[in-house]
Amino acid sequence: MRRGRSLPYVFLGPTLGILVVLALVPTIYAINISLQNRTLSQPMADYVWFANYVALFSDARFLNALWVSFKWEILSVTATMVTGLALGIAMFEAASPRMRNILCVLFIIPVLLPRVCAAFVWKFSFHPLYGALTWPVREITGSTPDILSTPLGALLAVAFVDVWQWGLFFAVIILKLLESLPPQPLEAARIDHATRFEVHRFVTLPMLKAPLISLLLVKAIESLRSFDLVYVMTRGGPGISTETLDMYAYSQGFIEAGKISYASSMAVIMMVLTIVTFTFTWKRLNR
Amino acid sequence: MATVECRDIRKVYGALEVMRDFNLKVDDHEFVVFLGPSGCGKSTMLRMIAGLEEITGGDLMIGGQRMNDRDPGDRGIAMVFQNYALYPHMSVRENITFGLERSGVPKAEIDRRLAPVVESLGLGIYLSRKPTELSGGQQQRVAIARAMIKTPEVFLFDEPLSNLDAKLRGSLRVEIARLHRSLKTTSIYVTHDQLEAMTLADRIVLMKDGRIEQMGTPEEIYQTPATLFAAGFIGTPNMNFLPMEASDGMLVSETIRIPTSRSIRAGRVTVGVRPGAFRLSAHPGAFKGRVERNEFHGETRLATIRSGSHEINVALPASTVVAEGEVVDLDVSAEDLHLFEPQTGERIVL
Repeated sequence: MRRGRSLPYVFLGPTLGILVVLALVPTIYAINISLQNRTLSQPMADYVWFANYVALFSDARFLNALWVSFKWEILSVTATMVTGLALGIAMFEAASPRMRNILCVLFIIPVLLPRVCAAFVWKFSFHPLYGALTWPVREITGSTPDILSTPLGALLAVAFVDVWQWGLFFAVIILKLLESLPPQPLEAARIDHATRFEVHRFVTLPMLKAPLISLLLVKAIESLRSFDLVYVMTRGGPGISTETLDMYAYSQGFIEAGKISYASSMAVIMMVLTIVTFTFTWKRLNR
Repeated sequence: MATVECRDIRKVYGALEVMRDFNLKVDDHEFVVFLGPSGCGKSTMLRMIAGLEEITGGDLMIGGQRMNDRDPGDRGIAMVFQNYALYPHMSVRENITFGLERSGVPKAEIDRRLAPVVESLGLGIYLSRKPTELSGGQQQRVAIARAMIKTPEVFLFDEPLSNLDAKLRGSLRVEIARLHRSLKTTSIYVTHDQLEAMTLADRIVLMKDGRIEQMGTPEEIYQTPATLFAAGFIGTPNMNFLPMEASDGMLVSETIRIPTSRSIRAGRVTVGVRPGAFRLSAHPGAFKGRVERNEFHGETRLATIRSGSHEINVALPASTVVAEGEVVDLDVSAEDLHLFEPQTGERIVL
């Protein structure tokens, strides 16, 4: 009996130990730094307590980054889910098993690409003079459209690449989820006079609610970490119009000012926001 | 209310033809049961009638109209599935009313129609529960309610009782029979269980390998099976088949001699005898045999008797006392014999 009780700790112990070292130590360190006025140029630092946090809320660029992050989160998660659902359902309805397999392989390739590579590939495609995507516009109108240099265009272009990687991948997952459903309720719904759209609206998607919520949260977390994508494609530009929180923290900490404490306080705010939002969303959606 | 008519229906999967020349006319109010072993095509046929399976060739008429290309929702049918096929995320009430809502029936009308259906199936207290909170029998009741509320022209049942335990199967079977008597909706019921077929059917369609083997009332099929297959499939315990030789007024094998007054063409013949047709006889009868096994079944006693190379199942009254190893005299009257052509398996009509 005693051995049976201690066994779980034996298995969990090492994992928890590693997690504490890898996750908890840097987190506490970041919180500690965020309460100081440490910079990269000087070895000395004093505790300034919440001065960094106070400063942040009068920093227009920080508030902008917060707003951009929020827009980015909503845009990329929504677009990915909608694309995944639309393509997944379309494959489920229209594609033969053989066709599904081919499409699934094709749809998985983008997400296998490291995001930096994907970002570079698409950055070249969007290039006003040499880009493959802008070529037809150049040929037809003679103008050179620079999508990445307009605020809205840049945000949409980055979101497009994100959806290209994750939306297609989600389409494969959603197709597999649909295939795993028992076919009889779908057939019953067809006999119950439901159109093909209504079968999905009222039967399959509600049946898949739990896995879809998980997918949504996975994507939401993933979207928070799209630093590399933004960094390669726009560097937060034009101006600061695609500067997300992590982008701004990075440039404050390492590029522009070396204000490592200031950057850390942003990271801490981001962490708190994330934890609060996700806990709330998780509880709410799982009700 | 409607008739269902299958004209030369054919079904092909890839290069495999699973059904050919399927012809059947189900009358208004009739309760027809498709009976057969698994893989005989009975469920495929039902699913083609429902519109869940493409019809490769032939015409399907419901109420005189061709239905081949109509959507399942537009055929005026309702179906009850083997595994209930309820919508797991909806309450019992939503499950039952879903079809009416999709057809655009007004809310007041739905409420009006819900009450009697719920009443007749005793689902009142479960209306707000989810299907997972119900037992198998209750779930199937919900599925029947979902089918009933649509007041369909034709009811389709796809092995509705197969997932239930024996006791529940019996009570729900009685309930289905009762509902059919009161609703009088044309019904087609698929099963591999002959007891369900015999008790529910106005007419049984016995199927084998995608063909109709025999069609008729339960009595007809039981009393005059048209083929060896029909004879062997219907009736528990199974019919005994004895290879014998017919010659002037006598059926003969190495150990068995049965006199028959009817004139049978001389030659080889397969004789079918139901276990209940044999009688123990006090004096030498048709044959002698040694009791090899003796099973008590409650009302009856099933004895396996060996006579020469024959192994014969005999159903005896439970009160009969026989010991294993005992040699007994058995008799059978000529009227209880079913004669079949050994090669074709067809019944020899006398």
